Amino acid sequence: MRFSEILHLVRLNLTQNKFKVLLTSIGIIVGAATIVIVIAIGRGGKADVAEQFRNLNAGAIDISYEQAQSSGFSFGGGGEGMSFPGGGNMPDFSGGNFTPPSGGDFIPPSGGERPERGSGEISGRSGFFSGFGEMFGGMFGGDGETKNTQKITLTTDDMDDLATYVPGLSETTISYTTKQDIYGGNIEETESYTVAGTLSDYADLSNLSLLFGEYLTDADNENKSKVCVLGYSAAKAIFGSPEDAYDSLVYIDDRPYTVAGVLAEQGTVEAGISADEAIFIPYATGIKYLTGSDISPTITVIAADVNDIQTVIENVKAVLASSYPDAEFTISDAGSKMEAANKSNETLTLMLIAMASIVFVIGGIGIMNVLFVSVKERTKEIGILKAIGGSRKDILLEFLLEACCISMIGGVLGVLVSFLVSPVISTFSIRMEMSVTGAVLALCFSLVTGTVFGFYPAWKASKLVPVEALASE
Amino acid sequence: MSEQIISMQGICKSYQMGGETLNVLKSVDFSVNKGEFTAILGPSGSGKSTLMNIIGCMDSFDSGTYLLNGIPIHEAKERDLVKIRNEQIGFIFQNYHLIPTYTVMQNIIMPLLMRGEDRKTAEKECQEVVEMLGLAERLQHKPSELSGGQRQRVAIARALCSKPSLLLADEPTGALDQNSGAEVLRLFTKLHEMGNTIVMITHDLNVAKWAERTVRIVDGEVFEDAG
Repeated sequence: MRFSEILHLVRLNLTQNKFKVLLTSIGIIVGAATIVIVIAIGRGGKADVAEQFRNLNAGAIDISYEQAQSSGFSFGGGGEGMSFPGGGNMPDFSGGNFTPPSGGDFIPPSGGERPERGSGEISGRSGFFSGFGEMFGGMFGGDGETKNTQKITLTTDDMDDLATYVPGLSETTISYTTKQDIYGGNIEETESYTVAGTLSDYADLSNLSLLFGEYLTDADNENKSKVCVLGYSAAKAIFGSPEDAYDSLVYIDDRPYTVAGVLAEQGTVEAGISADEAIFIPYATGIKYLTGSDISPTITVIAADVNDIQTVIENVKAVLASSYPDAEFTISDAGSKMEAANKSNETLTLMLIAMASIVFVIGGIGIMNVLFVSVKERTKEIGILKAIGGSRKDILLEFLLEACCISMIGGVLGVLVSFLVSPVISTFSIRMEMSVTGAVLALCFSLVTGTVFGFYPAWKASKLVPVEALASE
Repeated sequence: MSEQIISMQGICKSYQMGGETLNVLKSVDFSVNKGEFTAILGPSGSGKSTLMNIIGCMDSFDSGTYLLNGIPIHEAKERDLVKIRNEQIGFIFQNYHLIPTYTVMQNIIMPLLMRGEDRKTAEKECQEVVEMLGLAERLQHKPSELSGGQRQRVAIARALCSKPSLLLADEPTGALDQNSGAEVLRLFTKLHEMGNTIVMITHDLNVAKWAERTVRIVDGEVFEDAG
């Protein structure tokens, strides 16, 4: 029998059983809609991640320093009071002299001063205390060394060191944030805002674009000028609109700053400074008028090649270690953050796709059941077709194509349903990015389900003996 | 000697029924010449339906030889039997066995479609038969919209369309009233006169009388011409 004629028969059978086809394909409709929606949510999540990280350069590496807490009795850190150093070492009573009982080198205690190379280290891993120390080291961090006991403030000199000694960097910058009281514009009482001290290149490195005016310049920093750039939301909140904010005065810690520019809206960000809410001032201006040396700046270096990030990080560590041998810096690269966020997003998407697959299997079983019933109902018809010369292949193909068509109809309806449902889902603040890929995948899944689950009933139909099929009631 | 369409020698067929062997056909010898109109007459349970299924290549048999139009059916494989059913035999069933979801035309051309012909060619080929059987006005109707006699005429048209060497009718008037039954039998006579070979299974002697030759089947054994 010609394929086109088999298709014609399939169409005939399906159009005469529209309601049955619809009911049969419900499982597939749900499965296909789920696939499309899941992929849309996955893509939406990915887009969210991309948006949240858009102020980060993929090659950006942030370096900061956190001093260990050391008030009173503490583990794993030096400084004031009594402390236990990190794992693998003997107990150390800071400020006093303590000699390890066995096998260890005596190291002068560290007492909150800037460390020299090797200072604050106590090594001695033999005997009972060694195990004791390891136990505590494992529990409370440390790596056999006393880390971050000193107050370290990263400076532009450190930034220059990195720029000079770390190969493969395209740019470097340094910034810090502080909370300051602000008034001016429409604000009647002072409000607390994040003020970021940055260099002139910060805007470029963080992909910030300006709505009005210009970003801070090198001259602003050198002259410690009292100028600022407002984030979009900050400008709106303080002055009512970005236009009004431009070239106006805003008071930071009671000192007037001229608004040199207003940033375009950046949206929510996952990492770095949330630019919309922030006020940017020259780095040196902030140190002079706001913070003094009481800041924890972050040096940001940009790897020229994103594939070299790990090498750059190792080199950054090495350069910093030469200046601060006992310090452990927090180094994070934007690429890893993005990768981690994307990975978790992909995991979630995969999980949802797995769930959708289960729905498909259930839908497929539904199709199989209905086809079995259909074969039973149409046993006589199969017998007639076989009696007048219908081959096994014809019968198999007819029933299989019916299953495929039912599932494809289900797939198409499912895709339509997903497009209808997506605006509703979006109202629950779930970002969805509908895609052709999702729709195609859903249709492919539908087709495969129909073929796989339709095969057995179709095969059973093709195996019917004509005389028995004709005799069936 | 006339050409034989059916030539059966020593056909045996048995079924297993609850551990017992039921011999339905006992070494049946049966032949039909080309152009003959033969009635196989027998009561219920005599084995006539089994014989018809074997003649129609829809059922296997345990032993014996069967030549249909010279083709050794006893050696044929399932694939060959499909082709033989399609090309050599035109079936006419008691309950018409039309496909309810298809139109009259779709039912009629189905054997030709099974053969691989396209729809238009098949419809053209069937036109003459359709007109002869007076079905031209009913082609787009569904079987459920026809009377019993009309349905049987559709079944006959379907059987004739493939130009088979044998028309095999199983109780063709069994589901019809007397007039419709007589109309169908007159049609059979006409088809016979046109040179068709017809084998008709019936339990009704009055129906069998329409055939030129009657063969009785009793307890699985065939006896030549009772008349």
